[in-house]
Amino acid sequence: MHVFLLGVSHQTAPIDVREQLDFSSRDVGAAVEALAARYSAGEAVVLSTCNRSEIYVASDDPARARQELVDFLGSYHGLPPQAFEGHVFAHTDEDATRHLFRVAAGLDSLVVGEPQILGQVKDAFQVAATRQCVGPVLTRLFHTSFGVGKRVRSETALGEGAISVGFAAVALARKIFGRLDGRGVLVVGAGEISTITAQHLRAQGVGDIAITSRTAAHADALAAEVNGRAIPWSDLRLALAAADIVITATGSPRPILTRADIEAVTDRRRGEQLFIIDIAVPRDVEASVGEMEQVFLYNVDDLQAIVQENLSRRSSEIVRAESIVSEEVDRFAAWRRSRGAVPTVVALRQRFEQIRRAELQRLEHKLGGLSPEARASVDEVTRLIVEKLLLAPTSQLKALPDEDTQIAYTEAVNRLFELRDESAVPPARDEVDAGPPNRTRSS
Amino acid sequence: MKILPLLLYAVSAVAYAIHFARRDPAAGRAATASLLVAALAHTFVIGMQTMEVRHIPFASLPTAVSTFVWLLTLSYLYLEISTEERAMGVFILPIAIGLQTISALTPGSDKIDPVLESPWFWIHVASLLCAYASFALASVLGLTYILQFKEIKKKHLGYLYNRLPSLLTLDTMNSRAMTIGWVFLTVGVAVGVVWTAQARAVSPDDPNLRAMSLDDPKIFFAVLTWAVYSFGLFARTRLGWAGRRAAWLATVGFLIVLLNFLPIGYFVTTSHTFQ
Repeated sequence: MHVFLLGVSHQTAPIDVREQLDFSSRDVGAAVEALAARYSAGEAVVLSTCNRSEIYVASDDPARARQELVDFLGSYHGLPPQAFEGHVFAHTDEDATRHLFRVAAGLDSLVVGEPQILGQVKDAFQVAATRQCVGPVLTRLFHTSFGVGKRVRSETALGEGAISVGFAAVALARKIFGRLDGRGVLVVGAGEISTITAQHLRAQGVGDIAITSRTAAHADALAAEVNGRAIPWSDLRLALAAADIVITATGSPRPILTRADIEAVTDRRRGEQLFIIDIAVPRDVEASVGEMEQVFLYNVDDLQAIVQENLSRRSSEIVRAESIVSEEVDRFAAWRRSRGAVPTVVALRQRFEQIRRAELQRLEHKLGGLSPEARASVDEVTRLIVEKLLLAPTSQLKALPDEDTQIAYTEAVNRLFELRDESAVPPARDEVDAGPPNRTRSS
Repeated sequence: MKILPLLLYAVSAVAYAIHFARRDPAAGRAATASLLVAALAHTFVIGMQTMEVRHIPFASLPTAVSTFVWLLTLSYLYLEISTEERAMGVFILPIAIGLQTISALTPGSDKIDPVLESPWFWIHVASLLCAYASFALASVLGLTYILQFKEIKKKHLGYLYNRLPSLLTLDTMNSRAMTIGWVFLTVGVAVGVVWTAQARAVSPDDPNLRAMSLDDPKIFFAVLTWAVYSFGLFARTRLGWAGRRAAWLATVGFLIVLLNFLPIGYFVTTSHTFQ
C-alpha cells in the first residue's frame, strides 16, 4: 500500500488557482467521502487552507491515483484539468510523508513556524475520521504528523518569538508584567496596529481598556471593538496614572506625552512599571521618557526590529526541524514496509494453523479417549509450538530494510510454504491491523 | 562522605545549565530530580554528622557553611516547585558549589564549647542560616532582574529574555525572599543579644563573650546587614523602591552577608571563635 499526495500550495500555485481548487468553502466531508469511495483501501484526507489544497490517499497504484485525483479535482470544482495541472504537485510514499510532516511542523508555511497549521492538519484528519474514510495507513501517517508538529515546537525554537508588531508588544508586556490579568491599558489614538494590539491584549485578559482620541467617534468605535471604554481627550493625563500599558497612535505632529506628563503621575503610580508602545510616526512620546527608571518605551521601529530578529532566529532553527522530520519519515517508512509483509505473515500463520488443525483431526481417534483437560493441554501445546515456530520469521519479515529485499523474501516464503493462494487473498482488517496501534475505522 | 553532596551538586549544575541553554523540558525534569538526589544525600550527611556530634552540625564554620548550602538548596527547591520556574537553578548552584567546596576543603570539628550549650545558641545560628539562605535567593533573583531589566530597557532582547521569568515575577519573589530573610535575621540578631547577656552572667571571663560588641567586625557587619535589609523593606513599602533598586539592594546585601560569613567569620572576628 502506498501513500499518495496530490495538491496545490502557495509554493506552486498563484492565489487565483488556489481559490478555484479550495475545498474549505464547500463541504470537505462530502469530498472526502467521494474520494474514499474510489479507492480499494477507502482512505482519503483533504487538507484545505488558504495556502493549500492537498489530497492524501492510500493506494496500490500511485500512477493511477494521480490521474484519478486530477480527474476528481477537475470534476469536483468544474474545471478542465489543463486549468490547474501545471500547478499541482504529486508525491508518493516517503516524499508524501515528508511533505505532510513538513506541513504539520510549519516548515512549509508562508510564515515559517506558524502554529495554526497543526490544528488545521488535525481538523482535516478529524473530518475524514468521523466519516470513516481513513484506515491504518493514513491514521498512522496523520497521527505521526501531529507528533512531528509537537516535537518541532518543543525541541526547536521554530515557532518562538513574535512575528508581528502586535504580538511583539504583547510578548514584551508579558515579560514585564507576567500575567496580564487585570492590567490597565490606555489607548491613545485609534489606528490599525493599535486596534490589533488592543485586541491581543484583551485576549490576554487585561482589565480596563480606556480609549481616547481627538475624534471621539473613533474612540467609541474602538471601545466597542475591544470591549473597552471611551474617555474624553481631556482625561488623558488622569487615565495615565491608572494605566500599566499605554499604546499611542495619533497623527499628531508633536509629542502628546512628555517626560513632564509622566513625572506628574509618578507619585500616584507608586513606582509601578509603565510600558509605553508608541506606534505613531512621527512619534507621540518624547524620547527622554524612555530614560525614566520605571518606563519601558518602545516605538514601532523597535518592535519591527524584534520581529526581524525573531524571523531570522526562526530560519536558523529550520535545519534542526528538518532533521526531526527526516527522522520521523524514516520511522514511518520502516512501519509502512513492515506492513508490506503482513499478507505473507497472515498467510503463513493460516497455513500453519491449517496443518495443526488437520493433524489434530487426523489423530482424533487416538485423542478421543483423553479427558477434556488433557485434550485442552494437547491443543494448547500444539498451538504454542506453532506460535514459537512463527515468532522469528514474523519479526524478520516485518523488519526487512527495503522494498526489494521484502519482495524477494516474501516470494521465497510463498514458494517454500506454497502460500500463493492464501497471500493473494486480502487479509481481514483485524489481522492487518495487528501491528499498528491505530484503528480509526472502528473509532 | 563530605565530598558526595558536592559531586552531586556539580552534576545537578550541569543538568540545570543544559536545561537553561536548550530549554528542553525533559532536561529540566532531570535537573530537578538530580538536585533532589543531591539534597537527599546532603540531608543524609548532615544527619550522620548530627548523630556523631549529637547536635545539628553548625557550631564550627565549615559545618555551618555546609548546613547553609543545605538550607539554600531546600529553599531553592521549594521556590522552584511552588513557582514551576527552573531558570534560577543555573545561578543558585554555583553559589552552592562554591560554598560547599570551601566547607569540604576546610578542616573543622564540631565539638562544642560548653559556653554554647544553650537553646538560645541553636535558635541564633539556625535563624541566621535561614536568613542567609533567603538572602542568597533574593540576590540571585535581584541579579537576574537587573540583567533582564537591562535587556528590555536597552531593547536588546537577547539570551536571557527567552529564559527568565517576567520582571514582576522576579521582583515579587525577591520581595518575599527579602522579607522572610529579614524576619529570620531579626530573630537571629535579637536572640544573639539576649543570649550574650545571659552567657556573660554565667561565664564573665570567656574571651569570646567579652569581645561581643559593635567593635567586633562580625557583629558590626551583622548589624550593617540588618540595617541594609531593613532599609530595603522600608524603601519598598514607603518610597516605592521596587524593581531595579530593590534588586540592587538584594545583591549588595548578600555581598555583605558573604563577606561577613566567610572572610570575616574565618579570619577576622574575635567574638565568634568558640573552639
